[in-house]
Formats: sequence, C-alpha cells, structure tokens
Amino acid sequence: MSYIDVIKEREDLVSPGISACAGCGGELVLRKVLQVAGSNTIVAVPPGCMAGAGVIGWNFDSGMKVPVCIPLLDNTASFLSGLSHVYQRKGRGDVNIVAFAGDGASADCGFQSLSGAAERNEKILYICYDNEGYMNTGYQRSSTSSLGSMTSTTPIGSKTAGKQQHQKYMPLIMAMHHIEYCATASPSNMSDLIAKVTKGLEASKNGFAYLHVFSPCPTGWGYDPNLSIEVARQAVRSNLFPLWEMDSAGMRLSYTNRSPVSVAQFAKNIRKFRGLTDDNLASLQALADARYQTICNLAGVS
Amino acid sequence: MTMEKRLVLTGNSAAAEAAALCRPDVIAAYPITPQSSVVEHLAQMVYDGDLDAELVQVESEHTAMSVVQGAAVGGGRTFTATSSQGLALMYEPYFRMSTLRLPTVMAIASREMTSPETIWSGQQDAVSVREAGWIQMFCESNQEIVDMIIQGYKISEHPDVCIPVNVCYDGFYSSHSISGVSLPGQADVDAFLPSYSKNYSAILDPNKALALDPMTPGNLLMKYRQNHLASMQNALGVIDQTDQDFAKKFGRSYGGLIEEYRCDDADIVIVTMGSMTGAGKDAIDAARDDGIRAGLIKLRFYRPFPAARMVNALKGKKAFCVMDRSVCFGWDKGSMYVEILAALSASAEKYSYFSAIGGLGGADISLEDFLQLITQLNRIKNTPGEHKTH
Repeated sequence: MSYIDVIKEREDLVSPGISACAGCGGELVLRKVLQVAGSNTIVAVPPGCMAGAGVIGWNFDSGMKVPVCIPLLDNTASFLSGLSHVYQRKGRGDVNIVAFAGDGASADCGFQSLSGAAERNEKILYICYDNEGYMNTGYQRSSTSSLGSMTSTTPIGSKTAGKQQHQKYMPLIMAMHHIEYCATASPSNMSDLIAKVTKGLEASKNGFAYLHVFSPCPTGWGYDPNLSIEVARQAVRSNLFPLWEMDSAGMRLSYTNRSPVSVAQFAKNIRKFRGLTDDNLASLQALADARYQTICNLAGVS
Repeated sequence: MTMEKRLVLTGNSAAAEAAALCRPDVIAAYPITPQSSVVEHLAQMVYDGDLDAELVQVESEHTAMSVVQGAAVGGGRTFTATSSQGLALMYEPYFRMSTLRLPTVMAIASREMTSPETIWSGQQDAVSVREAGWIQMFCESNQEIVDMIIQGYKISEHPDVCIPVNVCYDGFYSSHSISGVSLPGQADVDAFLPSYSKNYSAILDPNKALALDPMTPGNLLMKYRQNHLASMQNALGVIDQTDQDFAKKFGRSYGGLIEEYRCDDADIVIVTMGSMTGAGKDAIDAARDDGIRAGLIKLRFYRPFPAARMVNALKGKKAFCVMDRSVCFGWDKGSMYVEILAALSASAEKYSYFSAIGGLGGADISLEDFLQLITQLNRIKNTPGEHKTH
C-alpha cells in the first residue's frame, strides 16, 4: 500500500491554523506522525518551534485532538519514562507514548535524560525534528548546527564567520544505545518516513525507538518556503543526511545514493551558509562522504 | 489493629520500609550520600519480589523527579528520595511538581550544601528550597520517619491540599543511626491510606484528551498561585487532623505542626527542628532538675509555616532562642529564626531572644551546646529585645 493510501483516510489530529512558519518542516512531519499514530496516543512537545506554534494550546484556540503536554526543555524522555511505566502498570501498553522534540531539547540540554531513557529501553517513540538550531527563539546555535552555519550566536563577524565546529551526529549516538529501533528520515522521502514512524510505534511497545528527522527551516536558514522539500532532498542526496534504520537485525541503508550531489550544491541557495569558506566546504564534503561510507560499512553495503 | 513489626532500622531503611507500605506504583531515585541506602533498600525489595512497584533506575536526580512527575501525571502514586546536590539538580522539575499540584512523597536525608566540599549533615539543602511550593516536614526519630512517610501521602493526596510532601531527616544523624522502630502492618496502612485515586485534573489519558500546562496568561497564572497558597493554608488543618487520625489508628501522636515539650510553665524556650531535638530535650530535662523553667518547641512543618501555633506556643514566655542547622544569608541569622520573628512581628518586642546556628557540615549539636543556650537565655530573660547571634 502506498503511503498516500495510508494517510489519506487518517484524521489530522493537529488543529488548523497553528502559527508555524510557511514551509516549516517540523509542522509537516508532526502532522504526518500523528496521522500514523492515531488517537490512542499521548504526545509530549518540549519548548521549541512546535510548542511555540501552539500545538499545546495558545489562547485556548489551538492544540491537538490527543492529550499533549509541554515537558521541560531537558526532561522530555524522563517525563515520558514515568508516564510510560504507569501505562504499562495499568495494562494499557497499547497507548502510544510519543515525544516530538527539537534538536536543542534532544541533543543539547535534553541529551542526558534522552540517553538515560534509551539505556533503560523505555517504551517510548522519541522523534527529534532537527532544524539544526534554536529556531523558535531566534536561530541560536545548537550542537546539531553544521559547520559554518550562520546563527544569531555564530554570526558572520569581521573576525569569525559562522559555527566553528561540525555538528554532533545524533542518530548514530542513539543507535549505539542498543535500542529497539533507530532511524533517520526526511520529509523529502515521505514514504520512507511514514514506514519508519509505523515501525517506530511498533518498536515502542517493546522498548525505546528513536527517529531523527531532518527538518528544513526556511525562516532560520534563509531560503524560500516553497523550497523546503527540495532542501531536504538535497541534504539527503549530498550525503549530509543519509537515510538508514537499525534494529536487532542490524543496520540497513534506506536510500542508496548512486549519484550524490556536492555539499556546495546543497548549500548554495541557503543563506545560513553564505559565510562558508573553501576550507569549510571541503571539510563538510569530507564529512558527508565519510558519514555515508560509515553507514554503508555498518549496513554491509559495499 | 494487626501487630506492628518491631525492627531495628537505620533512618534510611525506615524510610524505604515505610514507602513500600504505601504501595507506590513508581519509584525513581538516584543514589547520593547520605540517601543511597534508601534506593538500595527499595531495589532489594523489588528484586526479591517483596514489593510490587515499577523501579526506574535513573541517571540523575533531575530525571528521578521527572519520572515521578510523568508517573503522577499518568495517575500513579510515586516515591523518590534525595539529598543536597541531588535536590539542587532536580530543582527545575521539583518546582514544577508542586505548581502542577501533583501529590507525591519525597524523602530528603538532609545534607549541607557545597562549598566547602562536604557530604555531611545540615539542613541547608531542604531549607533553601522552602519557596518551591512543597510541604516540608522534619523528623526527629526513625519512628517519626516511618510514621510521617505514611502520613505524608495522606496529607499530599488530600483533596483540599494536592501538594507534594518532603519528609526530611538529618543525614547520618538520622539516616545512618540505628534504632528500634515499630513498622505498622500492611492491612492497617491500607486502611489508613486507601489505594490511590487521583483527585486532580493534571492527567494525560487518550480517553480524555487535554493540553496539560499550555502557555498560560498572567491573570490565570495568578489565580493558580492563589489556589496553591490557599491549599497550603488548608494543609495546616489537614496536618493536625492527620496527626490525630494517625494517633487513633496507630497510637502515636507528634503534635501535628509543632511539638511542645515541657512548655506549659516555661519562662525560656528553645526552638529546634530535626534530630537535634533529642539533645535539646535532654538539656531541658537537666535544666528542669536545676529548677530552671525551660521548655522546647520542635518545629515539625516548615512549609506551610505554622505561624499561629508558633505564636501561641510562645505566648507568656519571657525568652527564646531558635537553633538553626542552616543559615539565612540575607539576614545574618538562622532561617527558621527569621521566619519565627516574621510570625511574631510586633509582639516580638516583649521577648528576649536570639538566633543560634550550629551543626553545619556535620558538626554535632551537643547536650553541652543546649545547656549553654539555656544558661544564656536565663541570663537575658528579663532584658527584652534581640540579643547577639550565638
């Protein structure tokens, strides 16, 4: 069955008219995730773009049709751990316990509680929508901002330009926690994303499932909102964001990239990369090549 | 009443055994000196099959409080325990636990705050978070730890209260000291503390979708704070009532918010909190033998502050001193002392009084220390006004 058949019948559980920016990758992904998860679901959305856009309510006019809460920026996974334990104890393990958190709440200050919940193999589906920075509060740097990115805390200055470090590669760190299911996904590959959300929900009945989703951000990154899917596609095709999944059977490559585009091609129309030096570009290209090779090696693809 | 079990237990084991009797759904705690053996004891009970509870072995105190919070939001009864640096680390979800009005009991084996680096006793940890919206009470004995953890759930889950409770006891002096303890029978605890049914609306359930804790405008937030403050005041009555109900069932009463010891005809009074009270009572007995009319008030509940009962207990006395095991940096005094003066307000001028601070960082508060305070009080009792900090 095509993914369109899967989601066309499903209710959109997020209220219309939330205040996410035009072209927001996060909003698109959230709506699809909830269409797949359905109404027997509890969602935690920590402070960040989606919370700011009103999916936990805003002026009593917006929200979700499922129970939703805003945990602290740094305790989404631990808060849901407690909730999940109570639901297991009540014999209601059928309820989907889902986190929808940004990269700051996952890779930065929320990382300890996320790592702890993964190590304990808590029965949760944790989705990180990675827009590579604190976009809701004015595009500050996070540990997943890529090298050279212009953010409001890594500006293009007269002495220094952009972020000086490579991003933390979260999905592989999470995969090394021996969790039930770990995958990357992109809104440019929606069929793959829907399949992974479905698998993640199933896996969360047995233990921890983690989904790392590329979430293009026209407002924070500086490109036209109608290009979000194209930007996401280029990220995948440049090998900066390879698509893969891992479970007890091992790692599988989800998208075999036979003709990669260059990182320069990916970056050229995105304003946050306008301060990239030639050295930055070479370093990013080497990173993308190595990242794809690492995943191929782990997946046993020659 | 079924037979109580007579056991010899440390304060920490007493806390763990009492928590188990309250049938928690979820226990989450992270080891920290001097609390660690609470977690160890509970883990052993779960691993031996003696306790049916979800034990979540967390990677920090921040997570311990977060797990407990998530479980409470799902409708579970929960337990955790901590000390000093751990309490400081959990401050963020700690504040939210009370302001979301989620019942729970957390034991604090109280310990001095670093720096200087220390692991020993002191009440600065719990006292420093007294404005975080929790009910806080302090125990003198291991028996009191048992009884107050059981009462703690009763108070916390009371529909007029709905506020989490800290049961504090001094690190090492109580947590590691061994004494005889009567452990109530399970059937009696079950009767006293019926199985948990949520009486608050902060609950996440797909059968009743709601948005929990959305961005809240100031006027509504102020209403929530007002309700919280009112419930704190409700707790004053619930605490005293629970003490009486407990006494009827189990035969032990502690006086509720405060305990008055030989105060009836006393001229001079020492105010204490926690395990120091034992030495304080011995000193009062010794002074009485010498013909000095001395008495002691043990502050049991620090939050809500029992202002009316404290003022009433001091009525007619000539002099008092407050013995603090923590400091109030802003006032160059002990914290409890400052609060008692606030309770007395203008009527304080009738008394001779001073602040005493001791027992920080594990230092002993000895019988000799209390005898000196009594001598000092006796000397100044006819010179109203504030005297030098001791």
